[in-house]
Amino acid sequence: MSRGVPAVEDEEEVAEGEQSVSAPVTQEEPERKLTHEEFDPKGTLALILTYFAVLAVMWVFMYFVEFLGNDLIVVG
Amino acid sequence: MSVEQETFVDRYPQEAELVRRAFLVAFTALGLGALFGIIQALHRTNVLRFIPSTDYYTVLTAHGVLMVIVFTIFYLVGLYQWAITRSLDRSPTNINFTRAWLTLMTVGSALTGITILLGFVDQVGISADVLFTFYAPLQAHPLFYTGLVVFIIGTWLAGVDWFRTWLHWKQDNPDERIPLQTFMVLTSMIMWYVATIGVAVATLFFLLPWSLGFIETVNPLLTRTLFWFFGHPVVYFWLLPAYMLWYTVLPKLAGGRLFSDPLARVVFVLFVLLSTPVGIHHQYVDPGIAEGFKFIAMTNTMFLLLPSLLTAFTVVASMEHGARQRGGEGLFGWLTVLPWRDPAFTGMALAGLMFAAGGFSGMINAGMNINYLIHNTIWVPGHFHLTVGTAVALTFMAGTYWLWPQLTNRRIYSRPIGLLQVVMWFGGMALMSNSMHVAGLYGVPRRTAEPEYAGFDFNTAFGSISELNIQLAVGGTLLFVSTLLFLGNLGLSMGNPKVEGLGQSLPEPLSGASDSPRVLDNMKLWAGIALLLVALAYVLPLGAIIQNGGLFGMGGDAYPVSVLGAFDGLDAVRELLGVVR
Repeated sequence: MSRGVPAVEDEEEVAEGEQSVSAPVTQEEPERKLTHEEFDPKGTLALILTYFAVLAVMWVFMYFVEFLGNDLIVVG
Repeated sequence: MSVEQETFVDRYPQEAELVRRAFLVAFTALGLGALFGIIQALHRTNVLRFIPSTDYYTVLTAHGVLMVIVFTIFYLVGLYQWAITRSLDRSPTNINFTRAWLTLMTVGSALTGITILLGFVDQVGISADVLFTFYAPLQAHPLFYTGLVVFIIGTWLAGVDWFRTWLHWKQDNPDERIPLQTFMVLTSMIMWYVATIGVAVATLFFLLPWSLGFIETVNPLLTRTLFWFFGHPVVYFWLLPAYMLWYTVLPKLAGGRLFSDPLARVVFVLFVLLSTPVGIHHQYVDPGIAEGFKFIAMTNTMFLLLPSLLTAFTVVASMEHGARQRGGEGLFGWLTVLPWRDPAFTGMALAGLMFAAGGFSGMINAGMNINYLIHNTIWVPGHFHLTVGTAVALTFMAGTYWLWPQLTNRRIYSRPIGLLQVVMWFGGMALMSNSMHVAGLYGVPRRTAEPEYAGFDFNTAFGSISELNIQLAVGGTLLFVSTLLFLGNLGLSMGNPKVEGLGQSLPEPLSGASDSPRVLDNMKLWAGIALLLVALAYVLPLGAIIQNGGLFGMGGDAYPVSVLGAFDGLDAVRELLGVVR
């Protein structure tokens, strides 16, 4: 049994296999351990590129929504 | 195999009690705030009206203050007290001091809250219908400002308490890096100290003496600028506890580990440095501030996208790590193996998704020229209901499903209801916020009970205003029901029996603190640079405002939203104190 409430930085072994207290009891445990070297966040890159693509499309869309129907507003 | 360990309440019963007390105030404010929210949503859209439009500003002020001051900041102090205690594995130096600041904050909130609510009772003659932004010349009863001052002093003492606990820990552990959660607490509080200089000066030197009748007038542009000096960093004060949950708890829920502790530290340092010298971006249409200062504020604001994008990467990568450990494959296939049936996980993940959408509308707000298109329209509330209203609020609720059992040794009453609740919040907000953004583009104003004057029609490019109104009302109703489900679920949890084995640990990051330079932990350095940047951004504009409009303004009357037109303010305070005695 671990001593109390460990800091994030230590006691990695305690966390192993421990299920979230808010998860269903039937939730399956992680099936493998991946170290920093073994893990390559390609999925994250794909999601972030998708987000940037959405942003770019939204900017173009905004041009049509706002500027084409209205007079330009000039600063100064 | 799960390892049974003590819960937070087993190990720190007194601290857990204080965390629960802070959460109780937060959730009371959330319930009341939600009630005022649904009243507004139905009133504005003309779906159901049972208050006179003249009471709308009382409802709006109560909704704003209860949600973004009381709910968010009480949740923050509860969460931070938990975080600093557990990450240092140490009690506060003097728990009575901790009790004192929490009591002070509660008394201050009650004073301000009651003063606002008295606005419904015309006979009392006390009101504070000045909205969350309390711009002069709108004037509130002195008790409104007094409560605010007491509340802020309480938060300052909370910071003192946490810094003291850390310094004592440091004496015992001179060579260790600051644990990540403590680092987050300390950096947030440095930001808060810098930010609250503005609101403290505005309230103590101008608005409170003015409401008491000690000074005749104030310079509205000065107090407004001081408000936004505080008003922008406060949004990060709401956000940083959500970030703490995303960085330290969400990876655990996903079944993985935080991708990078150093990146998390860099993000929090960037918020210390950049969150305050940007407030003027709320004042792009204010006359009296030179365009150049506004441009500097815009540039600083765009830099703030950096920590948010760093967060998007780090948090999503941590989730992906969990998914890969769960056997997830493919470029997007890993998303399907995440623990979507865990309301704490799903709530936080959906909150993060909505924050990404809020990032887009935030960029529109921050752009000096594009801002003119949406300024003072309902687009802006649409934006901040994505950020504070979902990224923050939904994360807090989701985090509670995970944290509450460790504070009480009781399981949550119903996990499926929790899951339904977080999904309902997401759906309700998608509807409400979408309709607000679109209506804002058509020029529908914010902050009014009567958005459409008689004989005037908004020109819509597609759809109609009544469709948008229905969308807003349905979304608002879903959000209200979701809040009731959350509060009901939590309340019923207190009837669950106490059990053992609810303790949770947090996994070590993939890349730990030792991978980052020690200078990141130098709090004095970051506080010093933050103050320097604030001075650079604010000394000249504030000087110009005072030079042009005078320290106390150039005359004009207070707008009568207070009793002070009827009788002397000091007498009112004395009378009220007399009643209390």
